[in-house]
Amino acid sequence: MRTIALPRQNIKFNYDTDIKGSLLNILIAQQIFIESPCGGRSSCGKCKIKHLGGDLPPLSVDEEKRLTQKEIEEGIRLACLIYPETDLEIDIIDQEANHPVLTGGYVPEYQCNPAIWKKPIEITKPTLTDQTPYEVLFKKALAINHLPWDVLRQISMGEGTYTGVFNQDQLIGLEKGDTSELLYGVAVDIGTTTVVTSLINLRTGEEIDSEAAINPQKNFGQDVLTRITYVLDHGKNGRDQLQTAIVDSLNEMIQTMCERRKLSPSLIYEVAIAANCTMMHIVLGVDPLSIGKSPYAPIFVEEKDISAKDIGLTALSSFGRVYCLPAVSSYIGADIVAGAYVAKLHDRKDKVLFIDIGTNGEIVLSNRGKLVSCSCAAGPALEGMNISSGMRAADGAIEEVHFDTEKGFILEVIGDKTPVGLCGSGILAAIRELLKHNFVTVRGNIVKPEELEVGDPRLSYIDLEGKKRRICIGEGPTKILITQGDVRQVQLAKSAILSGFVALVNAMDLTFADLDEVIVAGQFGAHLPVESLVGTGILPKAVKDKITYIGNSSKTGAYLALMSLESRQEMATLAKAFDYLELSVTKGYERLFVECSQFNVK
Amino acid sequence: MAKSKEELLQQLSDCVFEMEDENVADAANEYIDAGYEALDGVLKGLVDGMNRAGQMYEEEEYFVTDLLVCSDAMYNGLEVLKPHLPLDQDADAVNYKCVIGVVEGDTHDIGKNLVRIMLETAGFEVYDLGRDVPLISFVEKAKEVDAQLICLSTLMTTTMPGMKEVVEMLEKEELKDKVKVMIGGGPISQAYCDQINADGYAVNAIGAVTLAKELVGMA
Repeated sequence: MRTIALPRQNIKFNYDTDIKGSLLNILIAQQIFIESPCGGRSSCGKCKIKHLGGDLPPLSVDEEKRLTQKEIEEGIRLACLIYPETDLEIDIIDQEANHPVLTGGYVPEYQCNPAIWKKPIEITKPTLTDQTPYEVLFKKALAINHLPWDVLRQISMGEGTYTGVFNQDQLIGLEKGDTSELLYGVAVDIGTTTVVTSLINLRTGEEIDSEAAINPQKNFGQDVLTRITYVLDHGKNGRDQLQTAIVDSLNEMIQTMCERRKLSPSLIYEVAIAANCTMMHIVLGVDPLSIGKSPYAPIFVEEKDISAKDIGLTALSSFGRVYCLPAVSSYIGADIVAGAYVAKLHDRKDKVLFIDIGTNGEIVLSNRGKLVSCSCAAGPALEGMNISSGMRAADGAIEEVHFDTEKGFILEVIGDKTPVGLCGSGILAAIRELLKHNFVTVRGNIVKPEELEVGDPRLSYIDLEGKKRRICIGEGPTKILITQGDVRQVQLAKSAILSGFVALVNAMDLTFADLDEVIVAGQFGAHLPVESLVGTGILPKAVKDKITYIGNSSKTGAYLALMSLESRQEMATLAKAFDYLELSVTKGYERLFVECSQFNVK
Repeated sequence: MAKSKEELLQQLSDCVFEMEDENVADAANEYIDAGYEALDGVLKGLVDGMNRAGQMYEEEEYFVTDLLVCSDAMYNGLEVLKPHLPLDQDADAVNYKCVIGVVEGDTHDIGKNLVRIMLETAGFEVYDLGRDVPLISFVEKAKEVDAQLICLSTLMTTTMPGMKEVVEMLEKEELKDKVKVMIGGGPISQAYCDQINADGYAVNAIGAVTLAKELVGMA
């Protein structure tokens, strides 16, 4: 038995020395939050801890590579590479406060016809001369042919007022009294990074409350591939851990909303879920492994209508349902089907491009209602990961940057705090300004100070580390620097997304000028102003005036699935109408990628 | 006045280094027409340019895509010079052979292509098996061509275990000492390399060349 203490957080715990694992695994097992975007594969360098006491093995090669000299001197180490051999005293670096997640967005008109509905009935007491079984009385009053066994055992039947609860034409529950006015559902978007839930009054369509949280699976890895790999490494047990993490989180979020609204969770009858394909597999406890390997065939894509308790979702009626929206393929999930539906891509008479920007960028092009899609591995740079001063959108994160030759870099910081680092929108804003003011060339090089004239205002911001040039955009506890490597990371992400964009436009024999609208979806995209999207060349300049935002269209799709059977049907049809372009095997893709890497694509 | 050999070599090198993939053929023709040795044109011209580009890449001055354009220029130049190369050059020299590919389950190959180019530039005889390569193929090909080195690449964490399998196959066939395994790609680290008992990990295409030379004992 050994002890690990985290004095700043006032935590001290013992663990069994039989557990063979890295410090990261030990902390995760204790449910102590620590950043580990790469899932403990020692490739991201974010799981930093400060060594305060106890013995640690010598620095590993990977730590030397991922930590700066200064960090090493301060005793910073990486938790995933440490296998403790004594009691330890440590501190976890980079704890972040939560930042509210955007939940709203545009909602189209729909036909109100929820799958879940209620019917109040009156039952008169049988008599000695007419000993009709209650089953028959209820069946007659409810106008149904069959009364399921699990409904029979839900309540004691007798005379008086009852309310039948239906899922389409199936009776799923019986309640005492007339409860027909009380009918609620929850719309859910499970993103790889964030989870958003909305409590919906199914009678009125009103959104009563919403709740957002960081996806707790991030302890098992930042992106879908690392999580799939976790399952690969840990088998059924790993799959269960990931499922439990997300289901528990959903239960908690629903409970929180109910408490806030003084609503009994038993009045929630359905949870509709939109998510990417991997998240959907995991929440339903289905093996996601095949998604992570060529030929990238998922286990399922069709819609699912199941009992909530079967997946451990308990913060609703005991006979509550879960409806999962349909997907297209491994990398075009239900979230994108929902988005395409909310944007009415199938009904458009013009040419529209829909793009959801995140770790994976999904793009759908509608050429007068004919849909073709692709998915590009942008990597986590756009969300502030793999960036030397990167951080999640939390207090202290720079979210907007402007450069002025007189005043220098003007920073907008979340929470108006001292700047600590850059979140995704901040890094894009910074690169945009660096390009605009020629700190960085169209090929992505930071300018060389020796090529600038004496007195050039740029000179005072160029920070040299040996031969390496960095731009200092501000100062918090430490200098906030944009390195050449950071520019390259954004350049990679931008090349990936833009080349997907161009490949789709080419595949339909169109040009940028032919596009009538470019719709940016997703909660991350909503934080990215047109100037940054175009200024960093993620989207071509030619579409600058055509960009619109649709917000979290994935959750809106889940909302529509709750509220309208017609919408459900249309989404299922829509999912089957998508064509998919696999970029990595598209002819000439490498060449296209090269062209799209320049920062000046028109 | 006609240009000297040195000037023409410099011109070839610069065409590659400065990404002039459209001018390099003219420069190569000029070099041949002037009657100079094709082999020098390749090694002291084109390959020199590619090496300079590689150096810039290592210093973060060149981006991945810049290197790809440089390599286009190099291959365009090679097309012109190749017919003029002596047929049985270096018959006695040791040929360093290497098998490269993206492991089964992954189709992302830009990184692998770059390593292949740099290895070819460095003088390796490279057998590129492409992407999504069945693991056994690496071992079979290495046996068939008598390669000293297998290079495995992947961008996806899900397919990393394939690298371990290749190492194990070599161990099983008692080829591990004869054939070295070098791994690379986004999610790979030195720790993973040690864990699966591979012979080396390189963080980028330039490091890969240095490491490859070291592993096969190339001067």
